[in-house]
Amino acid sequence: MRSLSAAVRRNWISILTVIFGLALWEVISWTIPPSQLSSSSKVPSLEYVFTEALLGMADYWKFDLWAPVPEKGGAQTALGAVLAIIYHSAMTLFRLTVGLIVGAVLGTVIGLLLSASETLRSIAGAPLHFLRMTPLLAMIPAFQFWFGATDLSAIIFVAYGTSIPFILGAINAVANVPKRYMESARTLGASRGSVYRMVVLPAILPEMFSTVIVALGLAWSAVIGAEYIGVQSGLGRIVIWSDYFSNTGRMIIITFLITAYAGVSFALINIVRQRALGWMKP
Amino acid sequence: MIEFRNVSCQFTHAAGGEIKALNDVSISIPDGQFLCLLGRSGHGKSTFVRALAGLQSLSTGEILVGGAKVKGPGFDRGMVFQEDSVFPWLSVRENVEFGLKARGIPKGRRYKIAMQWLSAVGLAGFADSWPRQLSGGMRKRVAIATVFANDAPVLLMDEPFGPLDYVTRRDLQDLLIRLWQKTKKTIIFVTHDIEEALLMADRVLMVRTGRIAEDIFMEDLPRPRDEDVRASPAAVEVTKMIQKHLALNPDWHSNEPTALVS
Repeated sequence: MRSLSAAVRRNWISILTVIFGLALWEVISWTIPPSQLSSSSKVPSLEYVFTEALLGMADYWKFDLWAPVPEKGGAQTALGAVLAIIYHSAMTLFRLTVGLIVGAVLGTVIGLLLSASETLRSIAGAPLHFLRMTPLLAMIPAFQFWFGATDLSAIIFVAYGTSIPFILGAINAVANVPKRYMESARTLGASRGSVYRMVVLPAILPEMFSTVIVALGLAWSAVIGAEYIGVQSGLGRIVIWSDYFSNTGRMIIITFLITAYAGVSFALINIVRQRALGWMKP
Repeated sequence: MIEFRNVSCQFTHAAGGEIKALNDVSISIPDGQFLCLLGRSGHGKSTFVRALAGLQSLSTGEILVGGAKVKGPGFDRGMVFQEDSVFPWLSVRENVEFGLKARGIPKGRRYKIAMQWLSAVGLAGFADSWPRQLSGGMRKRVAIATVFANDAPVLLMDEPFGPLDYVTRRDLQDLLIRLWQKTKKTIIFVTHDIEEALLMADRVLMVRTGRIAEDIFMEDLPRPRDEDVRASPAAVEVTKMIQKHLALNPDWHSNEPTALVS
């Protein structure tokens, strides 16, 4: 309790800004004339967002289990809304996590291989530069065309998008490892392979965590983008369904949810980072 | 026994010219000798030890250690660098165990050897600390413990105490002499400090423009090399000989350094 009041005292300006922002939102929502075409106001009031729009999430529960399915004439229920949010969140988080892990492993391995061989680097240099310049979201239709509107397609897309910063991050990080560490290891009897395992990998870890943070932001864009266009589930899909009926309230809910998940995922990575990098200055 | 046979190391200068950091060096160093390499910056001292470590390829000639030709780095020639080369991501004890681990020595034995050498350098109480929690001098002790724990017969030290303050330097010099007298390893120690050479060396090689300009034997100077010994006529004569080569030689500047590599 004491730490809470201390936190409030420390951050009172930020807290005021948030309260002011919410108040402003409310004022705008009550002053903008309602639209004839859409089911909710262009700027929906918070009351609407957290009652009707939230309950409306039940529309996206599609399984004849535990709660009625509105698509088949069932009622919107609170349980249905919760189940829908959990299901679609789980789908998005699953695609994001698997895609990010595959992208991280693949990208780091490719980056390490490239940094080990000048020949490989000169072969891969130009294509890599091209891929880095290609706008990621513009590639979504192509991926859907190649791999279909499936989970696998979304995962491959996230993996592709995140692997590129990992490749570049690994190459840079290896280049930044002080040469004396590798020389020292060699004169202590480490083979070339052991130098990679015992020196290069731990030495690049701090920089790779920065890459993870960049890639995580990219992964969120990639997974939501992939869901906009193709697959029939996930938070990105809900935004598109809401868009069909101009339901701004539901879009706002998804935005809040994504913000919350992104915040939690960044916090988790920070915890892992602090654990793994205990040897660095706190 | 270490043998240099007509060793040359040639670099291409950034401006395009050729530089001979080592120029036809032939010398042999018996086992157990404490050899100091002295000379001004850029005259090939570091290239000498790096070539011996296998970190620098030769243009001509060959280096033999115990009869075998040097083809690359190996644990039999441990090296302490001028810069801080203690691995920051490993604890002090894990650093000392590094070479043993790389060579596949089992955990229990590794631990025992590391703790033994940490006590020898006075850091037993810091085994589980991170390197960043230690001072520069203490980290040098870790580096010394690491090469001694690895039990290389030849230890190469490239101005290891260069960046340290005077008192810390003296402590480490004493420590190194004690460890050398106990283990009788061959030590090749690069320095540009005459006093450091007088304190420690059996033999001083004056390196100048990539060549051995003078080979000074001083095994007869009694140890410990306290101030009285360093003021003795024999020591003064050595000092003068070194000074002649080091600095105030009138024709020095007509004989410009061949190397930019220190």
